[in-house]
Amino acid sequence: MANQSGQLYGLTILSPIINNGSRSASQDLALRKHLSSLANGVHSPFARVAGTHFARLVVMNDVVFVGNPSKIDHLGSQYLIFTTDFDGDLDAYLRTMAQSIPAELDQIWKHCVGYPGAADAGKFADYMKKCQVETTFYFADVNDKTRDQTLKALQVKAELSAFVEENQGRPAAELQRAFQGLLTKINSTPPPAPGASRV
Amino acid sequence: MIKLNLCDIQGFVSRGYTFHFARYLLATIHEAEAGRAFSGRLLGEVTTGEKWVNGKPESTLNVAFTYNGLAKLGLPQPTLQSFPVEFVQGMKARAKILGDTGADGPEHWDPVWQDGERVHMWIAVYADTTPAIDAKCKKISDWMAATHGASVLQSQDAGALFIDGKWTTKEHFGYTDGFGNPDFEGLVRDTVPGQGKLTDDGKWVPLATGEYLLGYPDEASELPVSPVPYLLATNGTFMVYRKLHENVTAFRKYLEEKGGQYGGGKEKLASKFVGRWRDGTPVELSPEKPDQSIVQDNNRNTDIKYGKDPDGTRCPIGSHIRRTNPRDAFGFDGKLVNRRRIMRRGLPYGEYVPEDQPARDEDDRGIIFMALGASLFRQFEFVQQQWVQYGNDAHLGNDRDLLLGNQGENGKFIIPGTAHPQSPPFICPHLPDFVELRGGDYFFLPSITALRLIASGTVDPR
Repeated sequence: MANQSGQLYGLTILSPIINNGSRSASQDLALRKHLSSLANGVHSPFARVAGTHFARLVVMNDVVFVGNPSKIDHLGSQYLIFTTDFDGDLDAYLRTMAQSIPAELDQIWKHCVGYPGAADAGKFADYMKKCQVETTFYFADVNDKTRDQTLKALQVKAELSAFVEENQGRPAAELQRAFQGLLTKINSTPPPAPGASRV
Repeated sequence: MIKLNLCDIQGFVSRGYTFHFARYLLATIHEAEAGRAFSGRLLGEVTTGEKWVNGKPESTLNVAFTYNGLAKLGLPQPTLQSFPVEFVQGMKARAKILGDTGADGPEHWDPVWQDGERVHMWIAVYADTTPAIDAKCKKISDWMAATHGASVLQSQDAGALFIDGKWTTKEHFGYTDGFGNPDFEGLVRDTVPGQGKLTDDGKWVPLATGEYLLGYPDEASELPVSPVPYLLATNGTFMVYRKLHENVTAFRKYLEEKGGQYGGGKEKLASKFVGRWRDGTPVELSPEKPDQSIVQDNNRNTDIKYGKDPDGTRCPIGSHIRRTNPRDAFGFDGKLVNRRRIMRRGLPYGEYVPEDQPARDEDDRGIIFMALGASLFRQFEFVQQQWVQYGNDAHLGNDRDLLLGNQGENGKFIIPGTAHPQSPPFICPHLPDFVELRGGDYFFLPSITALRLIASGTVDPR
């Protein structure tokens, strides 16, 4: 399926931006300004949406005329492009989005045509699906693991690497004891926060 | 078929000189007209790429300019603005891009690099004796005095290490250096296996001339980005010059300590760091022991492929030569690395201390490293940023090159291993900064024609 790679879903949404005909109060510039203020990493609003591996927001202005022999062409509208890779089912994810970060979604999508708001998760999901474009050639390089599995795996890898560094060359009995300690540590340490860039 | 006019190419570009000594003069130009007059004097004695039919000359002379040097000489504004941006900015301004921060940062560089933008010229003299170097430098000094065109800011001596009564190609950590420079089309030389690029059927052929000389098609069959006019650029190239201080004590101490822990022993560990045993044997070809028969055979000593060693259990993926020239390690018959090959020149500087005697890291010793290529950005800067200061392409995360990397707190080097007790997996943690940058810059090495245009003030961008 085009939008699917293992259990991962690759969502692509194009939402037309309101064209209110006024450059000084234009919606696309207001949207750009707002997007540039959004945090990345652990403070990103999308870090709070369970199952999100990656999310991206882009404002698309228009096609660019590159010179003869291309035709001069224009898009019907400016668009907000939203792409996200997440675990599981599309409908469940969209509802989770609306329930987790409704205020943040409204701040972004209020600049777009026909946006119903995130207060009603069902209406929000319908709107997003209306704006959906098929993701072609979709590939997700996460070994078919969920976001939380991936975060934990990165942590385990770092811990194991540090463990080998510290314990290489130790005699077998000592190594065994130390390894038990590693397992206890791994099992009791919370996974890295979503959006973390270091584990 | 590329035919090169070797009379027009500076000898330093077309061949790696094998003299015992060198002196690099970093000079500042006083004023445009006088500077041009001085350049004209140099022009008379610049060593070209012509074959030495009467044996090696007593000494050679080559010259290159920084952007500030070319501006000082009064090149036209449209020409100056047409140089690639990294050359215009200079190496110091690119420090963050190159990872030249912390101990490698410009604030730690030699004084000559501190005071504004005064380094304008690099003048290199090579010879087999110090008196011959002195004689050539005396001439240069006389020309400077006669023209009032320039003066020397720093005179950097360098030379091959003389060890146990023999001239060597070793550097201060004990590694035999100087293998594997790229071959390109048009040079009067047979392709040494391993020095060119790989073809689909596993053979080595020369790289496109335009990877190393401006004015010729490069690996993309395009003319490299060059300054205008074409006549100024053709047969010239760009050079990066870096003074790399070597912390010999730190290296020997680390090698001794880890060598005692590593199952294969100290020399094998040293070989894993670099990808060559200290005698020059390629680890990929002989992972268990050094083998002089390979080293002495030019058809074998660089004929290295990593295709059968994807896990790095023979030659570690992060070893120095595999990082800086991955060859076929990324698949696609090695095509991904063809545009990232740098032409190296260089000599050690400072007094050699034998392995069994104490050295001080504060003492001035290391390597004067130079690399040539048509694009500083695409070749040297890429290798430095992506393959030396980063490990992602090698699937090594943030791990940096053991020798050159700017290590920070937790630098490590991973040696993939097998179940054999002499080839265990092994991690070298807490890497010190074995090499520290003490300065450098980007230079334009003009052709003889270009040097004449520059010296006579007739560079015309139209």
